[in-house]
Amino acid sequence: MGPRGEAWRRFFRHPAATAGLAVLVFFGTMAICAPLLAPFRPSQQLDIVGLQNRPPSWQHLLGTDLYSRDIWSRLAYGAQVSLGIGTLGMAVAVSLGGLVGAAAGYFRGWIDAVLMRLVDVGLSVPRIFIVLLAIALWDRLGTGSLILLLGLTGWFATSRLVRSEVLSLRERPFAEAARAAGARPWRIITRHIVPNAAAPLIISAALGIGHMMLLEAGLSFLGVGVAPPQPSWGNMIADGRDQIVTAPWTSLFPGLAIALTVMALNAIGDALRDALDPRAEALVPAGD
Amino acid sequence: MTAWLLRRLATAFAIVFTVVTFCFIAIHLAPGTPFLPEEGRAINPAAVAHLRREYGLDQPLPVQYVRYLAALARGNLGESFSQHRPVAAAIASAIPNTVVLAGAALVIDFVLGIALGAYQAARARRRADAALTTATLFIYSLPIFWLGLVLLLVFGQWLGWFPVGGVTDPVFYDSLSWFGKLGDRLYHLALPALTLGIVGAAGTARFQRAALIEALSQDFVRTARAKGLPESAVVIRHALRDALLPVIALLGLALPFLLTGAVLVETVFAWPGLGKLATDAIAARDYPLVLAATMLASIAVVLGSLIADLLTALADPRVRLVA
Amino acid sequence: MAITRSRRPTVFAVLLLALVASHACSRRGSCRGEYCGTLVLSVAGSVTTLLPPVSTTSAERNIFDQIFLRLADFTASGVTIGDSGFVPQLARSWEWSDPLTLTFHLDPRARWQDGPPVTAADVQFTFESYTDTAVAAGDLTALRHIAAVTATDSFTAVFRFRNQYPEAFFDATFHMRILPAHLLRDTQRRDWSTGAFGHAPIGNGPYRLVRWVPNETVELAADSSFFLGRPHVRRLIWRFATDMNLAVTQVVSGEADAIEVLVGPANIERAQAAEHLQLYPYPGVTYTFLRFNLRANGDSLRQHPVFADPDVRRALVLATDRASMVQSATAGRAKVPPGPMPQKWTWLWVPELTPPPFDTAQANQLLTARGWRDADGDGIRDRAGRKLSFHVAVPSTSGLRKQYARLLQEQFRAVGAELLIDEMDNAALGERLAAGTFDTALESFETDPTPTSGVPLIWGSGGGSNFGHYRNAVFDRQVSIASAAPTQSAAVSAWVTALKTLDRDAPGIMLYALDNVAAVDKRFTDVQIRPDSWLALVRNWRIPPDRLNERDRVGR
Repeated sequence: MGPRGEAWRRFFRHPAATAGLAVLVFFGTMAICAPLLAPFRPSQQLDIVGLQNRPPSWQHLLGTDLYSRDIWSRLAYGAQVSLGIGTLGMAVAVSLGGLVGAAAGYFRGWIDAVLMRLVDVGLSVPRIFIVLLAIALWDRLGTGSLILLLGLTGWFATSRLVRSEVLSLRERPFAEAARAAGARPWRIITRHIVPNAAAPLIISAALGIGHMMLLEAGLSFLGVGVAPPQPSWGNMIADGRDQIVTAPWTSLFPGLAIALTVMALNAIGDALRDALDPRAEALVPAGD
Repeated sequence: MTAWLLRRLATAFAIVFTVVTFCFIAIHLAPGTPFLPEEGRAINPAAVAHLRREYGLDQPLPVQYVRYLAALARGNLGESFSQHRPVAAAIASAIPNTVVLAGAALVIDFVLGIALGAYQAARARRRADAALTTATLFIYSLPIFWLGLVLLLVFGQWLGWFPVGGVTDPVFYDSLSWFGKLGDRLYHLALPALTLGIVGAAGTARFQRAALIEALSQDFVRTARAKGLPESAVVIRHALRDALLPVIALLGLALPFLLTGAVLVETVFAWPGLGKLATDAIAARDYPLVLAATMLASIAVVLGSLIADLLTALADPRVRLVA
Repeated sequence: MAITRSRRPTVFAVLLLALVASHACSRRGSCRGEYCGTLVLSVAGSVTTLLPPVSTTSAERNIFDQIFLRLADFTASGVTIGDSGFVPQLARSWEWSDPLTLTFHLDPRARWQDGPPVTAADVQFTFESYTDTAVAAGDLTALRHIAAVTATDSFTAVFRFRNQYPEAFFDATFHMRILPAHLLRDTQRRDWSTGAFGHAPIGNGPYRLVRWVPNETVELAADSSFFLGRPHVRRLIWRFATDMNLAVTQVVSGEADAIEVLVGPANIERAQAAEHLQLYPYPGVTYTFLRFNLRANGDSLRQHPVFADPDVRRALVLATDRASMVQSATAGRAKVPPGPMPQKWTWLWVPELTPPPFDTAQANQLLTARGWRDADGDGIRDRAGRKLSFHVAVPSTSGLRKQYARLLQEQFRAVGAELLIDEMDNAALGERLAAGTFDTALESFETDPTPTSGVPLIWGSGGGSNFGHYRNAVFDRQVSIASAAPTQSAAVSAWVTALKTLDRDAPGIMLYALDNVAAVDKRFTDVQIRPDSWLALVRNWRIPPDRLNERDRVGR
């Protein structure tokens, strides 16, 4: 059994990771097949007087919300938005962090100094402050801009991780050989170093998606997240907040969905850490 | 050591300065006018224009920036438009609340986290460990504000065991003895600190468990066991000391997490701290207050990481502080 | 050693328990009788200054209403023409020496809380302060008719008006709270905004400020020597909550005694379920509408491509089922206003004035007739390449308006119009409105007891809050006539005419006028609520001695 097979075996040794994968598959399917699974449109207000805040029933599996919208449908379409924001945001963050970290670690010298100072500045302010300030800059924020914003504020810790990996990798024989053969720096970085530094990137990506989703939920709670009527799990909790006593299901189900998804991602991240490098030090998740 | 410390302090200063500059540009570029009355009241344009002139907001941005820095050098943080008092006063009344909240949460976080992690490591891979792992994973994945809402609902409203929001009892506080006052404050602090602390504790526990399991497999532990020491002594006195080191490093990262969480928790529990002050200030475009709050937050984070590094160096003889 | 170790957690737990228990035990109170009582009020929001001309929120007004008095107090009758709707307060009597001169005789018993009597010099100083732009008081157009205020002797203040009009007395007394000249004269007016007096006010009212913990609580204590009668409730304590939900939870769980308004059917249900609370409905002072911008978004020189056409506006009004929205969002605790009016103007809610109907068929017809057809089949009408799609600016702090935005979205979709919701905070919204960079906005106004100030301001040509640039000279003329009506009945018919014109022009969709519902603990009796300021008469509330609870008896 080769090293790849070994890694998978170690991964599946964790029952939590297996369960986590199942959960992700479930929600991922929900997101992709939302139009098929949802009996109603997510923003359809069925009967604003008669069907407001109805508890779960056979017609409405998870009940209805304040605007008489079907919660199950909204949860399904919301999966698209929340998972999408988490994944794409993390993609932006990982790309940027990987790029910056690789450049800083490979080139060292003043490039490293400048980039890492930038990272220090970024890490020194609680992320939510930065995001709130940035949101204030544009009083109209589309989902695309939100993703970009979350990604642009979440790459700092990833870059540090990548940098330390690259720093050690660049001294390895294969890198020396490539340099001796006259390969240009970027080729060395992309063809040789980054693939080997992939492990911490993948792990921090898995954990980081969860952080992104939680941050989006927090922003929606504060009133500055995904714009209506588009549902996201975060803004569903925010919508249901005032009814938490009289109609708790409106915020219970999206909250559970977020918790389960993030839990799955954390479990997978743990197992990945074990699978890809069983002796690696316990890594700190990207972003905060 | 001194050289390292000086270098770090210089870097810290540079970082905070950059943060303040970025923040200044951002908040002034943000659309929206300060000085507007409550929504639903008529706006008096002459009054707004007058206030803008009074506070120097009609000057070009670089001029305002230089003025702000000059005032800052003199120790003047400016006047808060939305709070109608000097920024220093607004912050001074909010900081103690956030410090207390974050401090209590930090204590819960680390005490509970380390204890839980140690307990789990000692019973690694048995049923208790598996159950606790799932539990900590679940709690660590919850949205903090959702947890706060649920705790407030269950313990504050339904059961009535804890008060619903606030820092002290508005009616009785003054008539209590100092002992009673302390009790009242703890009573009000319980739910918000628990919300913030439990999630952190779950994270710390996971971390501590991993570190302790690693330590327990080391040679020196096997030696201790071979010497015939009881298991608890082995775990606590030998392995834990080694496993505590990475957790101390976590302290440095706990601060940004606490401050972010504080913003959300303060909103849920009506806790008048720095987080809530900053969010309201951003919404009101209260420039001096936003700048001061952000500056303070970044100072706290930078100093926190510095202290964490210092502690690690002191605790672990293998670490050398390279300037 | 092992024994000590295991004892430590127990000792710690016992200590903790003792701490928590002790705070319960040290509550002891000695007050009995008629003049005890603590009223704890829950407020969503916070207060930042208690100096009347600088203050901008209604929460602050509720508090400084107890600290600062007016020359004459407004009554629940709501009559603003002449002086029949007023009772003496700081002024004992008054007369019109000539049609432009109003003379007030102050009550010599009125004193400032630090000792000196209230004099006419204070009245003069107050007028000068309110009209000084350095103080930056709120809307001042109400005081523009007053030329000068002079003090002819210590207790006689004379108001000179520029012109004669029916609401002169109202303007002279309603807007200004008399300020202590001897305490404020030495502070520069432009420092009033952040000065110390705003946080430690000294007034002449039935209550004085005792304690203020910023963003937490404000405590007022009754002045037992108040010249108009000792207040029965000894202490008023305001608790600040971050939002409505928390404030209602505090009242429902008994940690607060009263709340000014329960917003939303969910909160009203919660309060109804709480057995210790009594609900008090009273006419609201606000009305909410969707305003159309008649000029182009961001360019006030051009017409708006969609809303410059009155038929399109009328069609959108017809397309909204306002009655159902009111039922859904407020469970009937609001009414659809026939014009820009709150429920407080009870005299204006007459059968001749009715809201426009709900008629989607006619709405569709009108839109089609004006050339808006769905050419590309996407469900949204278009005309000459432009879609019938527009944005609405909504403040993120108003739960009810956010709800309405979503409800409106669906209703417009049913007639082929697309509404895009932009939620933003108050500062951004204010700037958008002032700059004209909006298509539509969901606005809410808190009104004076009379339409003469609010309606021209919001809907009149050149009005300071007429952000939609609605102009109709006929309407302006009708409003002037109505404002000058000498009697209540003349005013009613004149206003009906003016509002019918406004209704035809449809510069906005009038959505709801709230019915306020306050909740107060049942142990309070004699609860009188005045719609324009709900706590104005709190000094008459009382608690019968047999119903005093622990909180009421705490002594000071």
